Order: sequence, then structure tokens, then C-alpha cells
Amino acid sequence: MATFIIRRVVWTIPVILLVIFMTFIMMKQIGGNPFRHTERNVPPAIQANLDRKFHLDKPWYTQYVYYVKDVFTFDLGPSMSQRTRTVNDIVKDGFPKSLKLGILAFLWAVVIGIPLGALAALKPNSIFDYMAMFFSTIGFALPSFFVATLLIYYVALKTGLVPTNGWPEGFFQFDNRIILPSFALGLFPMAYFARLVRGSMLETMQQDYVRTAKAKGLPYKRVVGLHVLRNSMIPAVTATAPLLGLIITGTFIIEIIFSIPGIGRYFVNSVFNRDFSVVMGITVLTSVIIIIANLFVDIMYGVLDPRTREVR
Amino acid sequence: MAVDRRETAMPVAAPSTTTEPAAGAAIRQSSLWQDAWRRYIRNRAAVAAGIIFILICIYCLAIPGFWKIPGIWTSYKDYDPNAVDFSQSYAGFSLDHPFSTDKFGRDLFARVAVGGQISIAIGFAATFMILVIGVVYGSLAGFIGGKLDNGMMRFLDALYGLPYLPFAIITTQILSPNGSVSFWSMVVALTIASWFTSARIVRGQIITLKENDYVRAAKAVGARWYRILARHLLPNTLGVLVIAIFLELPGVVLGEAFLSFIGLGINPPTASWGSIAQDGREAYRLHPEVLFIPSLAIATLVLCANFIADGLRDALDPRTRETG
Repeated sequence: MATFIIRRVVWTIPVILLVIFMTFIMMKQIGGNPFRHTERNVPPAIQANLDRKFHLDKPWYTQYVYYVKDVFTFDLGPSMSQRTRTVNDIVKDGFPKSLKLGILAFLWAVVIGIPLGALAALKPNSIFDYMAMFFSTIGFALPSFFVATLLIYYVALKTGLVPTNGWPEGFFQFDNRIILPSFALGLFPMAYFARLVRGSMLETMQQDYVRTAKAKGLPYKRVVGLHVLRNSMIPAVTATAPLLGLIITGTFIIEIIFSIPGIGRYFVNSVFNRDFSVVMGITVLTSVIIIIANLFVDIMYGVLDPRTREVR
Repeated sequence: MAVDRRETAMPVAAPSTTTEPAAGAAIRQSSLWQDAWRRYIRNRAAVAAGIIFILICIYCLAIPGFWKIPGIWTSYKDYDPNAVDFSQSYAGFSLDHPFSTDKFGRDLFARVAVGGQISIAIGFAATFMILVIGVVYGSLAGFIGGKLDNGMMRFLDALYGLPYLPFAIITTQILSPNGSVSFWSMVVALTIASWFTSARIVRGQIITLKENDYVRAAKAVGARWYRILARHLLPNTLGVLVIAIFLELPGVVLGEAFLSFIGLGINPPTASWGSIAQDGREAYRLHPEVLFIPSLAIATLVLCANFIADGLRDALDPRTRETG
């Protein structure tokens, strides 16, 4: 187990380097010098100084090494459009809000999606099963901006129970503004979990050991609770990492619709302002988060299912 | 273990007799497709989804400017999707404007049709490129195997699950330096952001097929590697590729809609379903229909594609049921 974890952790380092490299190359391709397309002409001497300060006079691989060093020391560089702020400031400001939104959406998915799928699988082809799968199919197909505006229009505007936008300032601050955004973001993972858990439970229930457990006279609750549920959760754990990517993608849209000042909104605004250090910083940050989440999921998977340790 | 049982029971692409001549293989192949068609027709949800899908495509192609529908269109101006008429802004539902109008008085019935052309075209173009890359990458990795396969799959693992939106946005920005995002830059961006799954599917299929007796027989009689690949392996991946079209399409259409919705996709006044929804965002409190109608169009298309994919999967390749 220890070697498995160590090998897996060591493997993430080249992956992170690769992703940073890809982002770096893409940013080089966008091109443009932040100091050159200003109205006034920068004198050559100052230009040379600026180039030296930001290592722009060096070849690209040296720049890459500098960037990697900065990323690993948690320094994402200055923002180009907001002169007084660094990318770190923007991340520090926006990331907790996005993180909270993502966690809440994920909670919706776990709290509603998994029981929905499990109950549907316990009574396959019942009315409840059909309703759960109908809900899951709909949740799969609706674009998140549609869900969000539907919720705003029919829940926030028509009933007036919750505000249409905004987000509590602090990380541990909760009020009724968190409900709609997190639900809109959580609907897709919810549908995903429901479908996944249902499928994997139906498959688990046909396994030999479940039949054995039933045959030796274990009570139904114990069969389901001990043998079926635990073993059918493994796909749900594996699906967490790709879902995280979808949730992060979703925050971009949800944050814009609900005016939540998270990193997704900063990202989109920075693309408009062509503030590419922020774009690059947020891309690298979200990618690294996903890679680390993948790492945890793989280790969890190794703990839950010892067979996977040997294969890798 | 469960997987093994299914694989031995799989009805696809593994004919038990390998000694028949090539002409026999062609006949068998067509009967596989006939079988699949019969199985598909029996699936009512998939048939309905297919019909609705085709109807949406017909609507998108036929409405804008091709012919006048009696009673609905009164002049050419009405079915010009970009014709601005401020006296008609937010006109509401009527026979003249079945889907109402937007802020500029542009008829949404025509505009959603034109937007659908763009959205569906981007969807199919990107799906096609995804499949081409998937086939090349997947068959290379699966066919050669060994260290190369390992390396290529590790590379895929590294890219897998990365948040696709930032990378798609950056790609569109690279491809459109003056800020106006074109059709093809959207296609390329969406392709780059989501080609991984199809490469994995193709590789898996190639690796399973490679172990089949008829491939060994072909090798034994001295067939070259390109002949084995072109004659025996790739035709047998066709089934999963057909499924993959409808598995990839929803993601691409949604991706296009997301990009256009946050204003980083197709530029106005060109319509796509996402950009019409973006137009609707500014006044959705009073006129939600401008946002809801294109969103519903997207949702319907995605729903249909999902059902078609399910139906095709049941008809062609029951093994891959759990990967969706």
C-alpha cells in the first residue's frame, strides 16, 4: 500500500509539470506583450528593463522554469489589468467563494443523487425508479444556465423567497442566497450519481456473494447495507474526479448568472480584458486541484478495492 | 469477472467462423447492421428521439429563407433572422412570430432555426474531428501496444478530467487574435477540449479485437499490419464509433452553448443557440422566452442524442452500457 501511494504521488509531479507546460505554451501562442500595446511608446531602455524584470529577454524554456518555480512557491504573478493586485490576491478573494459553491453543489449531489439511485435500484422498474430515472435524464440534458435562470425566474422572482443573486462574504457564512446557485450547479452531478449508483447497484445485486449472503439467511437490510451498498459505491468514488472537472466548469457559468465573485467570474472577465496572467493562473490552479483530486480518488480506490493496487 | 462474462456473451464483431472467404464477411457485416436496425426500431424511446432529432434538423434547415410557410410568413423580412425592427421588439407570441421576438425585433422562430444550424453544425464538425483524432490515437496506441501504448495512455490520464472550459476558452483566444471567434476556432477548441473519451473507447475496442481468432489467422497467413488494421480492426470499431457520435454530440453542443452564453463563443449578430440565450439574459426577468426557447432547443437536442446513443448502444454493443 505504501509503495502504491508513493508511486502514485511521485507520478503526479510530471503530470502537473505537463499541464503547466501546456498552459504556458498556449499562453505564449496567444502572444502580445502587455507593455507594448499601450498607447504611449515605451522607450527601449525601459522596455529592456521590463523584459529583464519579467524574464522576457530569456529563451522560452528558461521562462518556463521561472514560471514553474513561481507556481510551486504559490506565486502566480501580477495581474496585468488590475495594476494594484496580484493573481494571488484575486485567487485569495475568489477561490473560497468558488470552493464553497462547489462543495455545496457536491453535497446536493451526494445527499440527493446517491439515495435516489440506490432507492431506484432497490425497486427496479417501479414508479419510483421511472421517476428517478426521468429526473436524472432531464438533469443530464438541461444546460446549467437554463436551470439557473429557470430557478431565478420561477423560485426567486415569482415567490420572492430567496434573492436572485449575491453570495455570503465569509466562507462559513450561510444564508438563503446559497440555495439556488448550489442546486443549479449540483443538478448535473446529482443526475450523474443517481444513474451511476443505480447501475452499479443493480450489477452488484446479481453478484454471487450477494446471493450467498441472501441464501445464508442474512436479513435484507444487512445484505443491502453491508454487501450491496458498500461495493456499489466504488464507481461513485471513481466518478468524483471527472465530476469535479464538470463542477469547476459549471462554476464559471453559475457565478456569472448569480453574480458570485468567484474565480470563474474573474476568469471570464480576465479573458475579456486580455489579462492573461490571471487566465493562466486560474487555469493552472484549477488543473492542479483536479490532478490532486484524482490522486486522492486513486488512493481511495486502492483502499476500497485492493485489486487495483497490483495492476498499477 | 462480471466483465469477462459479458465479453464472452457479446454478440458484436466476433463471428465464430473465421475460414470463410472475404465475400462472406461482407454479407455478415450487413446482417449485423440489419440486426442492429431491427433492435433499434424495437426501442420506442430511441425511435421517438431519432424522429424528434430529425425534425429539429429539418426545422433548422428549412425555416430560414428556403420557402414561405403559408399563414406564418408574410414577407421576406420576417424570415430574415438578422432583420432588425425595433417596433417589433419583444412582440410576444403570435402567428407572425411563433417564438416571439428579441430586443431588436428579430424573429426568434427564424433566429432559433439559424442558430440551430450553427450549433448543430459545430456539434457534428467537432464530433467528427474528435472521432478522427480518437481513431488515429486510439488505434495507434491499441494496435502497437507495449511501451508506446502505456505512454500514450498515461498522457491521456494526465489530460483526463481537466476542466475543459478554460482550455477551450484559451484555444478560441489563440485562434482568434482579433477577438472575433469564428466557426472553425470553436470547432477546434471544443475538439481539443474533449477528444480523450473517444480515443479511450477506440483503444479499448482495438485491444479486445486484436485477440480475436480471425486477426491471428490473418497474421498467420501473412497479412501486413496495415491490412489487419484497415480490413479487420477498424471496420469492427464502426459500431462503437456510431455510438460515440451521439455520445460526444451533447457535450459539444452544450460546450458551444456555454462558451457563447458567457460571451466568449460565436460573436453577435451571428446566431447560435448559446448566443441567442445570451441575448435573452439581459432581459430575462421580463421576457424569459428569449432565453428559454433556445435553451429548450438545446435541452431537446441533447435529450434526443442521449436517447439515440442509448438505443444504438443496446442495438450495437451491449457491453459498453455502463460507461455512459
